[in-house]
Amino acid sequence: MTLDVSTAAVRVDGLSRRYGATRALDGVDLALERGITGLLGPNGAGKTTLLSILATVGEPDSGRVSVFGFDPRQAVQRVEIRRRLGYLPQELGYHRHFTVAAFLDYVAILKEITGRRRRAEEVARVLAAVGLETRARTRIRALSGGMRQRLGIAQALLGKPDLLVLDEPTAGLDPEQRLRFRELLSSLPGDPVIVLSTHQADDIAAICPHVVVLLQGQVQFTGTPAELAATAAGRVWAAGERDERAHLAWRGGDNRWRHVGDNAPAGAELVAPTVEDGYLLLSHAAGWR
Amino acid sequence: MTTLRFRTVLGLGWVEASLLIRNLLVLAGLLGGGGLVWLIIDQTVPLWWNVSWWIGAGQLILGMAVLIAAQLAAGRPQRAGLADLYASFPASAATRTAGHVAGLTGVVPASLLLAGAASAVVQARGAIGAPDAVVLAGGVLLVIAAGAAGVAIGARLSHPLAGVLFALALFLSSGAYQVLSRAAIWLVPWNIMVNQLDVLPGPLAGYPPAGAHALELAGFAVLAAIVALAVTVRGARARAGLAAAGIAAVAVICFAGALQLRPIPTAGVNRLVSEVADPASVQRCTAAGQVRYCLYPGFGSELASLRAPVRDVLARLPAPPGPVLTIRQVVPLSMSDWTLTHGQPSSDVSRWGTQVENAPANAAAAPKATIYLPVGSWPAAGGQLADANFDLALATAEWAVGIPPQNSGSPAFQPCVPVGQAREAIAIWLAILATRPSADKLHDGLNTGMGGGSTGAGVGNTIVQTWSYPGMGRDYVMAPGGGPQTTAAGYALASAMTSLPQHQISRVLTAAWGKWLNWHTPDTLLARALGIPTPRLRPFLSAPSGGAPAASSAAQSPLCTS
Repeated sequence: MTLDVSTAAVRVDGLSRRYGATRALDGVDLALERGITGLLGPNGAGKTTLLSILATVGEPDSGRVSVFGFDPRQAVQRVEIRRRLGYLPQELGYHRHFTVAAFLDYVAILKEITGRRRRAEEVARVLAAVGLETRARTRIRALSGGMRQRLGIAQALLGKPDLLVLDEPTAGLDPEQRLRFRELLSSLPGDPVIVLSTHQADDIAAICPHVVVLLQGQVQFTGTPAELAATAAGRVWAAGERDERAHLAWRGGDNRWRHVGDNAPAGAELVAPTVEDGYLLLSHAAGWR
Repeated sequence: MTTLRFRTVLGLGWVEASLLIRNLLVLAGLLGGGGLVWLIIDQTVPLWWNVSWWIGAGQLILGMAVLIAAQLAAGRPQRAGLADLYASFPASAATRTAGHVAGLTGVVPASLLLAGAASAVVQARGAIGAPDAVVLAGGVLLVIAAGAAGVAIGARLSHPLAGVLFALALFLSSGAYQVLSRAAIWLVPWNIMVNQLDVLPGPLAGYPPAGAHALELAGFAVLAAIVALAVTVRGARARAGLAAAGIAAVAVICFAGALQLRPIPTAGVNRLVSEVADPASVQRCTAAGQVRYCLYPGFGSELASLRAPVRDVLARLPAPPGPVLTIRQVVPLSMSDWTLTHGQPSSDVSRWGTQVENAPANAAAAPKATIYLPVGSWPAAGGQLADANFDLALATAEWAVGIPPQNSGSPAFQPCVPVGQAREAIAIWLAILATRPSADKLHDGLNTGMGGGSTGAGVGNTIVQTWSYPGMGRDYVMAPGGGPQTTAAGYALASAMTSLPQHQISRVLTAAWGKWLNWHTPDTLLARALGIPTPRLRPFLSAPSGGAPAASSAAQSPLCTS
């Protein structure tokens, strides 16, 4: 099958999914272009459900998904999506007695990279990309949590996927590893579609041209990080004292209180809002605490 | 299957095979299976028609390990929390399952190694007959079928206990004779409990039905693989194809089962019964001095091992015994065994039963000049061979000094006891000199009762302390009716005689050989003639004067009086 790149790479229309009485997704519409899209939302907002459906692992109750023009409801087309997919689930286990290289080699076979030489090259490439090339022969059980997370990212990169679905990929990474991860995603060849779920608003601000805020199973915002930050313009102040009317307030490293809310504290001065401020105000408006 | 999917299956199969080859469970199964085969072949001179089947029993142990290993491998993604990730790959669950099935090629080298190494050891230990390639191939198929079953189980049940439980069930099925008709015993994966292969004088066509059983195992392997795929495959067309293949596999299994339930060809059983009932009709006899060794065809390699203890006893006799001694192989076959007789006309079964009842091995009385050796019981090496040598040497010596296997008087055909007879000590002394067992081992025969105490036999109104010689009761030598019971007093005097120069004893024996063979000649007279005191035994039970034996539980045995 040929790759359909004439329309939005990934389209989601009216997607809904329930788990018993809980509505995880409620009529989600999205159009994802090439590049990195950050998915922000609190726990339980439906991020993992949405990503698992994009990764063809979960199935919606209703709505449609189109990935590069392929419909995951059709078995043959679902396989075509999977051939173009790299997926990092939120909670990833490992074959603990496998070595790092053996695990990646196994995953490479499951991704239908059947040529031995090509597989070896791919494994070497992704190991270098996540900085684990010296750990190729280490058993997974001997890796630290951060290294395992990098291994999870490495397996997602196998086969140079056109669609990367990463559910909280920076969880467990130290600050330097997070920066390297940003560098890695930014420098991926082929301009793939990357959907990145995270609680780290600064990761979104740093590397995502697009951001989607998901709250209570519904899309509350789509736009750029700057646009998200702009939604908080005029509602973020710095003051010497805490004002109880603020939605959220915390004391910063300069010993001044940063207030996010609709009311200006006495003697406060307006400060430039961040993506985090925009997200906080959105979630407050949606009644999420 | 597309080329890409096929190559993916091959790739997965290669990885899974290499994992299985290095799997510690499989290695443990290989060692366990090898250990079991070793235990079997270590005991007796191996008979290929029996050992080929036992190598399959070793494969059963390996198969259990492979089943567990394959189940663990197939259930690995679920246990490791990788189910979601695996579901996102283009290789479907069915492709992965097919990879696991293909990976079972990794256990074939282990199975072949077990069969090959065991065969080499068996051959090196002087096995009789020729290996049965079909039986050996059946063992390899058993391992593959067990692995396929493991994949099928693991595709559905990922918990490690699932594989263990099914492996246990596989093992228990090998002894399912208690719930199956014995005619159907060959239908279980590998019957290791019920058969008479170890006593047959040669291979019997259709026993076991090896070809049909191998076909059944192949059918099971295919069926298990189909079940494994059916659990994971999607799509009506694929399922229909699997269903058709499954029906074909079941048909093959049923066909193989029906073949196994067929009666053994009547001509073969007729020939077997004839060989058992009248060994002389087929045995080849070799004369050596005053001894004829009559063995079934193919057993000639045992001759040298048999001759040594007999020759060494006879060489020490002061005078050659009159009649010729015959040492003959016999077959302790049971015709009440349905695995042999199922499906045969009852008239034939009845006739065979009568013939076998009258066979030498089952006769109530033993001819005086014949020693019987049960087929399949002669040890190959080690301590058991030493015991068997002593057993045969003592039987030869007892024949040479005229101690009968049983008393022919009243009560008839009971093991007799040569109480206080000089000839018993002479027989034991001859056997000791011929085979040189350790003094400790000989002495241990005095303490084989409960708690290391003495044993006794009631003779008349006396309880006589008995002595268990090396190899006694192990059926190396078969004495119909039980054979004479050796006494502690006879052993004690024989043991004391071993401390004297041999020429001194020979001179005393030669001077009055006829007298020493007389059952009336007491051991005290022999001790006096040799110039040694009659050994005193620890006080044992004796009957109150004129009363019944003190230990009424002791069996009553006649005195050896001929």
